[in-house]
Amino acid sequence: MTELLRIENISYSVQQNKDKMVVSILKNISFSINEGEILGVCGESGGGKTTLAKIIAGIITPVEGKIVWNQNAVFSQSSINPLQILFQNNGEILNPFRRINDIVTEALRIKNKDKNSIIQLKEKLFDAVGINPELRNRKGYELSGGEQQRAALARLLAVNPKLLILDEPFSAQDVESQLNLVNLFKKMNKDFKVTILCISHDLNILRKLVNRVLIIKDGEIIECGKTEEILKSPSHPYTKFLLRAENYSLALDELHSKK
Amino acid sequence: MLDVNIQSVSIILDDDNRLLLRNLNFKIEKGFIYSILGKNGSGKSTLIKSVTKLLLKQNYEVIGKALFNGTDLLNTNEEKLREIRKNNIRYVFQDMINSFDPLKKLEYYFNNFASDKSKTEKLLQYFLLPAYNNIKELYSYELSGGMAQRLSLVFALSADPEIIFLDEPTSGIDYAAANLVLLKLKEFTKESNKSVIIVTQDIKFASAVSDFVAMISEGTLSPFLPKDKFFSSELYEDHKSLLASFREIES
Repeated sequence: MTELLRIENISYSVQQNKDKMVVSILKNISFSINEGEILGVCGESGGGKTTLAKIIAGIITPVEGKIVWNQNAVFSQSSINPLQILFQNNGEILNPFRRINDIVTEALRIKNKDKNSIIQLKEKLFDAVGINPELRNRKGYELSGGEQQRAALARLLAVNPKLLILDEPFSAQDVESQLNLVNLFKKMNKDFKVTILCISHDLNILRKLVNRVLIIKDGEIIECGKTEEILKSPSHPYTKFLLRAENYSLALDELHSKK
Repeated sequence: MLDVNIQSVSIILDDDNRLLLRNLNFKIEKGFIYSILGKNGSGKSTLIKSVTKLLLKQNYEVIGKALFNGTDLLNTNEEKLREIRKNNIRYVFQDMINSFDPLKKLEYYFNNFASDKSKTEKLLQYFLLPAYNNIKELYSYELSGGMAQRLSLVFALSADPEIIFLDEPTSGIDYAAANLVLLKLKEFTKESNKSVIIVTQDIKFASAVSDFVAMISEGTLSPFLPKDKFFSSELYEDHKSLLASFREIES
């Protein structure tokens, strides 16, 4: 197993405007992502999951620590941008003035000069994400939320990324769409050889997708390992709490003593 | 308490009306939680808005009756309707953060919708929100989506209505908060003998919280069944495929 990138001792904090208090968001996070794997990050809202994604993507700079990419793994593929993120409000990445077709074509042109191969790749991408020819000629806001998400995925995959970060891709979807997405992500992982980091607060659906999962609480990794094993025998009390919360079997005093 | 017989809900278009929902017949009794399941875009939100005439009448046509304690909400005068909505019915919509005026401090909403301070304080504490003196100084854009959702529930509950309508109550909140919502709704219906109607695609939440469950498919609403029966039978194609996906995720 080749390592794709390594996150080393990342910490991040912000200073509040009001009382100048320093609030720690992430504390000393270290883990690595292997080439070709699907890794999950799970934790409650406000736990620092999205911040972590943004740090890996280089959108925000950590206060401490560093991200080390395996240069061989990344540049052997001649990736221009080895990483793409699918954000929660994915409709916003689609330019409202342009058709889906043009958005994807433009992304493909970055690396491909030949017209015919662009057309072929485009077909392949749209087929893979399930955007039919009629939808390709629409603009982002003319698509439903689920269609926007799939169109955005086509655009992200067009630049042949090594790592795809998915931020809460399952929220606001019905169960059938959730399962379809799981299958789609698995297919992308296989067919496009893209490594996936999937962030979700929902262990229930996450376990259908990921082989390995990190549990984050208050900015710290409290558990990490094979998804099945963690679900079968969680070692940290918070993981146990999460699993019981998903089954709606928590009592009021447990919920209140949490904070 | 609420007896709905709506024949049709249509959207008014330039050339023609398009039928969205038909044959919505159900009764809501005191002391129970009712959930309506349906896929994205099946008309769940339209359904609960149609019952109390919240759909804009220049855009939608609703034909039928919705009797609330004997008064037909769809055919009564505006004044009476406003009175009933104000005293007896509360809604918590999906994107509550957008229903606050960003130029007003939350104090404004507390003064208008939650005048009983000690009750409000208890509810804030229950939902793990900041204490009244802190939260009243905030503006709506300083809240996270989940906080706004919980705060809207605080406002809805402090009005002590007969019925609360909830549109996707679990979207944007984590499981711990969803557990709190569940316990509170049970308390509200069982101890205060009130009613709750939920529309959601979160089957897991619906199966945990509800007394009765129905499903929207192909523009109409199935009868409400007791929860156990709804989840153990396979009534028609859509119901079957919904339950199949649910079981697959759970397995």
